[in-house]
Amino acid sequence: MPGFDFSNYNRNAALCARGMSLPKATSTGTTIVGCIFDGGVVIAADTRATSGPIVADKNCEKLHYISPNIWCAGAGTAADTEFTTALISSQLELHSLSTGRKPRVVTCMTMLKQHLFRYQGHIGAYLVVAGVDPTGTHLFTVHAHGSTDKLPYVTMGSGSLAAMSVFESSWKSNLTQEEAIDLCSKAILAGIFNDLGSGSNVDVAIITPEKTTLKRNHITPNQRVPKLGNYVFRRGTTAVLNEKVIRKEELGNFVSIHEMTEEADKMEVDT
Amino acid sequence: MEFGKSGFLNEDGIHVDMDRLKNGEVNLGTSIMAITFKDGVILGADSRTTTGAYIANRVTDKLTRVHDTIWCCRSGSAADTQAVADIVQYQLGLFSMQSGKPPTTQTAASIFQEICYANKDRLSAGLIIAGWDERHGGQVYSIPLGGSLHKQPYAIGGSGSTYIYGFCDANWREGMEEADAVGFVKEALKEAIKWDGSSGGVIRMVVLTAKGADRHLYLPDTDYTVRHN
Amino acid sequence: MAMFSQNPIMNGPSYSFNDAPKTNTPEGARQHRFDPYTDNGGSTLAIAGADFTIMAGDTRLTSGYSINSRYHPKVFKIGGTTADQKDATLVLSVVGFSADGEALKERLDTICKMYRYRHGKPMSVKACAQRLSTILYQKRFFPYYAYAILGGLDEEGKGAVYSYDPVGSYEREQCRTGGAAASLIMPFLDNQVNFKNQYEPGSGEGHALEERARRPLTRQEVEVLVKDAFDGAVERHIEVGDGLQMMVITKEGIEEILLPLKKD
Repeated sequence: MPGFDFSNYNRNAALCARGMSLPKATSTGTTIVGCIFDGGVVIAADTRATSGPIVADKNCEKLHYISPNIWCAGAGTAADTEFTTALISSQLELHSLSTGRKPRVVTCMTMLKQHLFRYQGHIGAYLVVAGVDPTGTHLFTVHAHGSTDKLPYVTMGSGSLAAMSVFESSWKSNLTQEEAIDLCSKAILAGIFNDLGSGSNVDVAIITPEKTTLKRNHITPNQRVPKLGNYVFRRGTTAVLNEKVIRKEELGNFVSIHEMTEEADKMEVDT
Repeated sequence: MEFGKSGFLNEDGIHVDMDRLKNGEVNLGTSIMAITFKDGVILGADSRTTTGAYIANRVTDKLTRVHDTIWCCRSGSAADTQAVADIVQYQLGLFSMQSGKPPTTQTAASIFQEICYANKDRLSAGLIIAGWDERHGGQVYSIPLGGSLHKQPYAIGGSGSTYIYGFCDANWREGMEEADAVGFVKEALKEAIKWDGSSGGVIRMVVLTAKGADRHLYLPDTDYTVRHN
Repeated sequence: MAMFSQNPIMNGPSYSFNDAPKTNTPEGARQHRFDPYTDNGGSTLAIAGADFTIMAGDTRLTSGYSINSRYHPKVFKIGGTTADQKDATLVLSVVGFSADGEALKERLDTICKMYRYRHGKPMSVKACAQRLSTILYQKRFFPYYAYAILGGLDEEGKGAVYSYDPVGSYEREQCRTGGAAASLIMPFLDNQVNFKNQYEPGSGEGHALEERARRPLTRQEVEVLVKDAFDGAVERHIEVGDGLQMMVITKEGIEEILLPLKKD
């Protein structure tokens, strides 16, 4: 079992006792939901990540891959949801390979709850687990302390109350796929607009026996408004106190270089 | 991760942190009970799960199977009670496979007690175990917070149980007929749900007899009069 | 009374450690006390121009992760003679704990009105600014939890902005932001209003480089800056959003502008 490194625990506990505060983890304030329909299951999430009152990421991904037919929506501590789902995904694939069977949602849910229970809530992962396997369509919630629930529609995260209000007023049995997507999106939108921890866009994943469809940014109701002013500075506006030129050929003297393709290191930048 | 402010890294081993459950843990506020009657036992429970004031699940199933005719009612921390029930279910499954016969209710209760007592400083689990077996017929055991084990003709538990001690004491009779026993459990839980804010939703029951397990479901829409399923 | 004697010896032991808050309380022994303050989020902004002042604030009122109101003004006209404040000459913005902010606004408004009735003329910004400082300091040990900014036109008709801390320390400034997103907006204002960290291209080498000369901004320029500042804050601060309320103070009077902001 791969585990955590506790070598700094004593030092940190001592520092904490002397009044130093612990570093703040990025939390996915979050609204996540899930809903079963006739022939599959839909899960959805908002895309805001926060660190205290500051928006850390405006378009993060909260829908995590477990296996082709099982997906997970995560709320709580961002790192915990990412690593926990990745760990279980890995173990489930090995399990699937050794048994020669397709992974099951209950297996995934049981592994998650046992992992989280072992850490007594210190791993702050709150998850919605959904999927389709040979035994049928399944939808679960898993809380950080290790408790699970099985329901036809679920919500979690700080926006769960706003989202649940949509489900409790509009949900009916025997939904079609389109109706389920629409209902989940509406629930997420309720979280985005009424919960400060949630915001930006709606991500949706639809899982059916045939295939899984991930609709990244299914709805984008919070596009950035264009700036009115012009903030291009004239060249030379910033003071340059000294200058040193290192040519590309000499670069090897300072750092180790790996050649990469142009596509590989593209990143999103605000214009 | 949170540390104490004392500077001591370890708990003193004597004092138990009773606030442990309050930090956002999922709680079964709960009204649960189990009774013996002529042909076996009946387990009953409400269906409310809360995190603070929020109802995290309004149709929870707090009646959990650990063997074909041995079931338990869970109260306290949802995570703890699920974990304990999962372990016992595994142990009983293994036991019946190795011995080739179903376990007795007493065996099940004993395994539950072992876990609850050994981990009493880490668990908040209040359990009622009820079962039917060939040797003893219907039996009810109660395991409250410290991990003690009590064999009782009937047991009530959870926050809602405080409201129905009088009702149960006045109305429970030895060797009731099934219909009367179901009626008794239903009326008791109706009162518990009515007065306890942490209990609510539907009433679930499981009737355990020689014929096996039979599930009952009663909805508040019809004032718990009509049996569904 | 001996306590107020100039001779320190006569004053006796004027302080002791007895009243200092107890630290090192044993763990588990929780101290319960009345906590009357809430942070209601939001941000305010004020910029003084050559012959105008713009005061602005978002209109969202929050507590924790909840939105209590999407339209709850933080910017108020002060000292008019009518209920709709149509002849007011001063504007006060408050952010922090909204109940305290409103109480502060009501008190200052009353004082300005009394002044106007007694003297037959509106209070000057300078006088009002000093009075506001006094009001805040009077509650030094049970402060109004409010970051106030007072705006108007001074005796020469120039834009004036006075900013305060919750216990009455104040200062006249060119521009100031307060509240939740203050730390996000203030650097932007330093750069765009006072041209901080901007140098004149080609005016010299290194330290000899000349700073970009300051010039008074026009009303249109300031309105654009305010909108862009808030749009930026809304993107990165969860407690800012919904609406932008602007008050433009000129010698003609006070014009109120309401613009939409993102609602997530």
